Amino acid sequence: MNRRVYLDHNASTPVHPEVLEAMLPYFGERFGNPSSVHAFGREARDGVETAREQVAGFLRTGRDEIVFTSGGTESDNFAIKGVAAARGHGHIITSAIEHHAVLRTCQTLETQGFEATYVPVDGYGMVDPDDVKRALRPDTILVSLMHANSEVGTLQPVAAVGALTRERGIPFHVDAVQTFGKILVDVEGFGIDLLSFSGHKIYGPKGVAGLYIRKGTKLVAVQHGGEHERHRRAGTENVPGIVGLGRAVEIRGRDMEAEAPRLAALRDRLWQGISAVSHEVRLNGHPTRRLPGTCNVCFRHVESESIVLGLDLKGIGVSAGSACTSGNVEPSYVLVAMGVPVDWAMGSVRCSLGRSTTAEDIDYVIEAVVPLVARLRSLSPARV
Amino acid sequence: MRYSETLVDHFRNPRNAGMMREPDGVGEGEYPECMDLARVYLRVRGGQVVEARFQSYGCGPTIATSSAGTELITGAQLAELVELSSARVERAVGGLPEDRAHAAEVVSAAIRAAARDALGRAGRT
Repeated sequence: MNRRVYLDHNASTPVHPEVLEAMLPYFGERFGNPSSVHAFGREARDGVETAREQVAGFLRTGRDEIVFTSGGTESDNFAIKGVAAARGHGHIITSAIEHHAVLRTCQTLETQGFEATYVPVDGYGMVDPDDVKRALRPDTILVSLMHANSEVGTLQPVAAVGALTRERGIPFHVDAVQTFGKILVDVEGFGIDLLSFSGHKIYGPKGVAGLYIRKGTKLVAVQHGGEHERHRRAGTENVPGIVGLGRAVEIRGRDMEAEAPRLAALRDRLWQGISAVSHEVRLNGHPTRRLPGTCNVCFRHVESESIVLGLDLKGIGVSAGSACTSGNVEPSYVLVAMGVPVDWAMGSVRCSLGRSTTAEDIDYVIEAVVPLVARLRSLSPARV
Repeated sequence: MRYSETLVDHFRNPRNAGMMREPDGVGEGEYPECMDLARVYLRVRGGQVVEARFQSYGCGPTIATSSAGTELITGAQLAELVELSSARVERAVGGLPEDRAHAAEVVSAAIRAAARDALGRAGRT
């Protein structure tokens, strides 16, 4: 049987055994509804509030500044639509390479009378804070910028942008789904007012995430119903999920600092291994200001999905940069925004490493991908 | 695995891969939405395909279907290949998921074009 190597941690991660252990009682004896006043409800409420403390402690924020949601997408929608609804009209600045949860939310608001500016990125996928500065208008109501891009891993200059927004009193939303629990997210130092974070990228369960809302930020609820989460997010809390998120965050606080350099070294080993023996390959994203575990590589004259299939047959899970859906394939909008030529962008593959990744895994992937790409190129009608 | 065993086998071990020098017919099939491109070369004797080769750029199914398609047409009469349907090519690779049906279209188009080219060349000599 093939070795199995999972290099798609930016997509999702396995639940940490200690997280699962923390969650299990909340599916069983602590099943109550946290809104109930009896002991069953209080036990569930305690679980939720412990998690809130764990998250607030990790982010060094107030407990009442944390709202739990169903996922990073909801957190992004809540932050952007919540600010927009509080203001009624105005201008939003974001970047061209945001997650669709941000991009499509802004595009939807544009159809409702709001205006939006999508600032460009450079060849490394990085926003220039001066572009944000130039885009600012008297009616700018929000700046939303991701901390790290999920595809290429480039870290954005959030502190510099946060300084700009703070100076002008404009709310600053940061989608930190890819950085939260992986590298330092300094809410205060970066001048962040709203921060999206998620559980399943950091060995927590799927279907649970959160939004940090700085006290005093004008935001209205977008989901209406009961009085949950201090009237900010209606709906019975996903108690086991929230407990799991809290425990996952606590574990990241313990492990994150040591793991980052280990992953960065493995990430670099992967790129060096591939680039030493393959021609016509390029590394996408910033060479150093990048997520420790993210390595996005373009193989020219090969189509991403054929590489993903070939690696899948070897037991390796990676992600294709260009995805063919319903017979329509487009290169990654992130790579296109970075100016990567289409014949390169069509062959992009993202490897994202995690806590279980070993040097042996990386060497196995190098041994598999290099001949695979050579074989696929030999089949190609393109001149290589 | 969402692909048939036949497809996976052809992807892993493509048959008839590579260019052919001085072919009797060459044709290409393209699927611009997907940037897929298949090129098929034919060696023909007495109106019959005695050797077929391919070069393809695309997703795994397109590569596998190219391989299966060239196997399917080896020994066939040129005249019948001009009408070759994508459904026959799809059957040769053990079926395709709906969102990958274009693989059979690209390959069958390349085969039909190669057959037309071979017939045209034969007509000129």
